[in-house]
Amino acid sequence: MSDPRLAVDFCGLKFHTPLVLLSGCVGFGEEYTRVEGFSNRDAGAVCLKGTTGTARPGNAPHRVCETPGGMLNAIGLQNPGVDQVISSILPQLDFEETRFIANVSGSTLEEYEEVTRKFDDSPVDAIEINISCPNVKEGGVAFGNDPDMSARVVEICRKATDKPLITKLSPNQTDIAYNAKRCIEAGTDGLAVINTLMGMAIDIESRSPVIGNNQGGLSGPAIKPIALLKVHQVYQVAREHSIPIIGQGGITSAEDALEFLIAGASVVGIGTALFYDPLICSKINAGILDYLECQQLAEVGQITGSLRLNESSSPKCGG
Amino acid sequence: MKHPQQRNSICLEDAEILSHHAYPGDQHILRLQAPRCAARAKPGQFVHLTVDPQRPMRRPISIMRACADDGWIDLLYKRVGEGTALLAARTTGEYLSTLGPIGQPFRIKEKRPLLIGGGVGMPPMVFVAESLKNSEHQPMVILGSEAPFPFTARPSSILLPGIPDGVIAAMPLLDDWGVPCRLASQQQMPGVHQGYVTDLARHWLNALEAQARQEVGLYACGPHPMLEAVVELAREFALPVQVSLEEFMACGVGGCAGCSVEVQTENGPAMQRVCVDGPVFDGYQVFN
Repeated sequence: MSDPRLAVDFCGLKFHTPLVLLSGCVGFGEEYTRVEGFSNRDAGAVCLKGTTGTARPGNAPHRVCETPGGMLNAIGLQNPGVDQVISSILPQLDFEETRFIANVSGSTLEEYEEVTRKFDDSPVDAIEINISCPNVKEGGVAFGNDPDMSARVVEICRKATDKPLITKLSPNQTDIAYNAKRCIEAGTDGLAVINTLMGMAIDIESRSPVIGNNQGGLSGPAIKPIALLKVHQVYQVAREHSIPIIGQGGITSAEDALEFLIAGASVVGIGTALFYDPLICSKINAGILDYLECQQLAEVGQITGSLRLNESSSPKCGG
Repeated sequence: MKHPQQRNSICLEDAEILSHHAYPGDQHILRLQAPRCAARAKPGQFVHLTVDPQRPMRRPISIMRACADDGWIDLLYKRVGEGTALLAARTTGEYLSTLGPIGQPFRIKEKRPLLIGGGVGMPPMVFVAESLKNSEHQPMVILGSEAPFPFTARPSSILLPGIPDGVIAAMPLLDDWGVPCRLASQQQMPGVHQGYVTDLARHWLNALEAQARQEVGLYACGPHPMLEAVVELAREFALPVQVSLEEFMACGVGGCAGCSVEVQTENGPAMQRVCVDGPVFDGYQVFN
């Protein structure tokens, strides 16, 4: 059993650790259990692969490539469609081990609504709506970068489910805090901050983008400082409404996780870091516990939003 | 436990480098102490290696040999980019995080498996051959390379009907195991067939009795054009064929779908993951 000091209440759900395995990194929840020593119990929740109304084949190869301090991906929402996920995949998951969160994507408002409604009538513990997938031609980021559209997606999904609703925000927009505010007003219960940043890599021999989709989402340690600032900015809005945040973007250690918690996240997402250390969750949990002991804190929740800003800071000037 | 058959099939080990030898053509053979991987590895499977602690992505590399008793695995790789250059700089006594064994192995069904390996696609074929020595199978191995072979070829002690005169060079390890082997290259090398691996394979197939030919299955790993030519050859002789594919890979355990490729299935085209659905696929499903 995990240490009770790591337990967090997130949107009314008890997570037994503050770690969330991120959508798109862990398939439909069972894939990483192939690795000896890995357990879904080391995570408070597992976000399932992005799911659409009907099956999608995804993008042509190459879908991933390494970049300095990170990687690009453009999978393109490969998934078997919501009906197949509910009928064939969810029954294979062990809900005793962790919380499973469905991840909803779509090309139209109707598709978001339909997929959310179907997951509402399924055993998943919560629903995350991905209004920020950068890798499909329509939907996704097109909704996520427009606060009005973001709010409309949240509103329509809110009506389609009574389960906790989490909205995953795009960093590829001007004012993420304003978008967060609109999503909160539209009824989201939680926010995931941030999705990947858009990027490109070019093969200088062929003069073509390495990624089949030409552009992809950048993840990994390279985006951590950006993600941290976005969490800090969103927290200023979210705390007024007691809306919890999943802080995510380049976390590879307990120290990284603690930074996100201090910045305002209630729980933290682990994604790309799993690719080079599939057993990283138990190490991050142990590191957080060490910190709690050193700081003489009783539980993880006490860290959230404990940031002490420097008084001389000039927030609008980076130079 | 709802997935007992796949759970815990892959091990994460800090593997000590026991030896690391460089060969001409930027080729390297790496021996790692990875006992849990060695005990489970099957021909066609690969390991996902951390080439450098600062690199966010691992590199998938085929297993060439595995010794369960002594706990080591051998890998052959070619330095092609920054990642493999970092790997090439690692020395004996250092440790590499090793995730494996991963993937669907070759499933050898026929009495006479014809094993064709090209370039860094040679390793799985060596592994298959070793697994079949002293078995009821009668494997034949054809290896191709445009760089010098990463071993000192020697005249084979095994005579093979149908092989062009003078094509006598073989990989010593295979010869010692009693597995017949011949080599092919576009480059001029003594005792090596100057041409494609598939030309040499065609010579060998044509020399077989009709009945024996029906007992052949093709197994291949190598560059994409070579695999396509091997599948064409299999089609020509109406023989089964399995091929091992490569693709850029992130997680290596089926989680990210980053390595998916299109294959034909009974239900039409589908994207399948090279890491856990492959790397070995039915050749006709890949090239049709």
